[in-house]
Amino acid sequence: MVDFDDSNYEFVAVVGPSGCGKTTLLNMMAGLLPSTSGEIQFQGKRLEGPHQEIGIVFQRPVLLPWRRIVDNVMLPVEVMNLRPREEYRRRTQELLEMVGLQGFEHAYPQELSGGMQQRAAIARALVYDSKLLLMDEPFAALDALTREEMNMELLRIWDLTKKAVVFVTHNIPEAVLLSDRIVVMTARPGKVREIIEVDLPRPRSLSLMGNPRFGELADHIRSLFKAAKPA
Amino acid sequence: MNRDTAVQFAYSIGTFAVTLALWQGIVRGLDIPTYFIPAPSDVLIALSRGSSLYPSHYLITLERTLIAFAFAFVLGVTCGTLVSEIKILERTLYPLLVALQSMPRIALAPVIIVWFGFGSSSKIVLGAFSAFFPIFLNTIHGLKTIDNDQLTLMRALGSNRFQTFWKVKLPSALPFLLAGANIGIIFATLAVIVAEFLGANQGMGFLIVTQSNQMDTAGVFANVFILSLTGIVFHYGIQFLRQRLIFWSGGNEMSGERN
Repeated sequence: MVDFDDSNYEFVAVVGPSGCGKTTLLNMMAGLLPSTSGEIQFQGKRLEGPHQEIGIVFQRPVLLPWRRIVDNVMLPVEVMNLRPREEYRRRTQELLEMVGLQGFEHAYPQELSGGMQQRAAIARALVYDSKLLLMDEPFAALDALTREEMNMELLRIWDLTKKAVVFVTHNIPEAVLLSDRIVVMTARPGKVREIIEVDLPRPRSLSLMGNPRFGELADHIRSLFKAAKPA
Repeated sequence: MNRDTAVQFAYSIGTFAVTLALWQGIVRGLDIPTYFIPAPSDVLIALSRGSSLYPSHYLITLERTLIAFAFAFVLGVTCGTLVSEIKILERTLYPLLVALQSMPRIALAPVIIVWFGFGSSSKIVLGAFSAFFPIFLNTIHGLKTIDNDQLTLMRALGSNRFQTFWKVKLPSALPFLLAGANIGIIFATLAVIVAEFLGANQGMGFLIVTQSNQMDTAGVFANVFILSLTGIVFHYGIQFLRQRLIFWSGGNEMSGERN
């Protein structure tokens, strides 16, 4: 059904209207759902289930409320029984600093704002050194300002960690701002309509949104959505 | 204590004082006989009169209640876990236990005394039997109402059943376990006292029946007063645990399922 290759350090966005199966696709890529047709390969092998080299960030932060932030980030390390513990604890500390949560290590999730909780969730997805990071509309629940701030943060983190990212969103400017390539999907049946190369320079900043090329790309994607809609 | 709780405390004490004063006044004013309704002062006298008698009986009842509760808690949580985690047990045992649950368990007290005798064991069995169900059902309820996203997260991390149980399900179910315990301890107390009414030669239930037969109503009230205090201690004990263990839970599961 869909085939794209995420070789090293690429940022791919998947955009599409609600109900086109973006989240389903992401869940298949995470090994959480069996693929309906075709198959999903990761590192040249068929993906049979959840994989330790794939990290996932959901729409909601999904932090465990009885664990402190640092223990939430350590959860994958415990579950996967990664050793040595000390090293991962150090890594957790570094990641929390990287996502801007230093000083909140021992706070409980409910003491943090939505944006900060999502930062912790990102740190959790990075702690076990996954090669591929799947993100399912991770900033959809945030207000517009926080969302923009988090977009910039994500680019910074991505640049530091050098991971392949698949980022699902229904927000067109967000997709253009972040990614190298955009997979545009259409609804019912969920199909890949087009894959767009984003030829905007990096590093990117919010001011890029005023760039004419940015507007062209966004308009093009919008027109793809419109064309797909039955008249 | 901050100002609000201090004010609230003053109001509570005031209400108690006024109620007791009214009670005393009405009983004395209308010249109601002590064996019918004792005045607070009579209850106080009964308490001091029984100061050598009550402690030993009280400790026996307390011990039976706590043992019964401990059995019920361990069994309730264990059975609840097995039933909610193992499909075949849910299919087979759950309907049976729910059927048992709708039975008025106190009604079995006479039979249980026949089976287990006049000693402590019959009281403990009835108490544990009564307290088991609220704990059992709340455990199941707690283990069944887990945030789906948390389970998906664990699955994405490749978590096995035991890890998911210890790291997510059990902590999530804790508010429900405590709600079950809160009701369970009340049921255990009631059942132990009822069993002591029916056939015992020690314990608060036995004492109440004896005093009642001797028209010592003030003595009965004194006993009930002691038991009420115990109930309050249990309640706050569980509240304390709640604040310690599930500080993170905003919801109010304390009501729980009563049966």
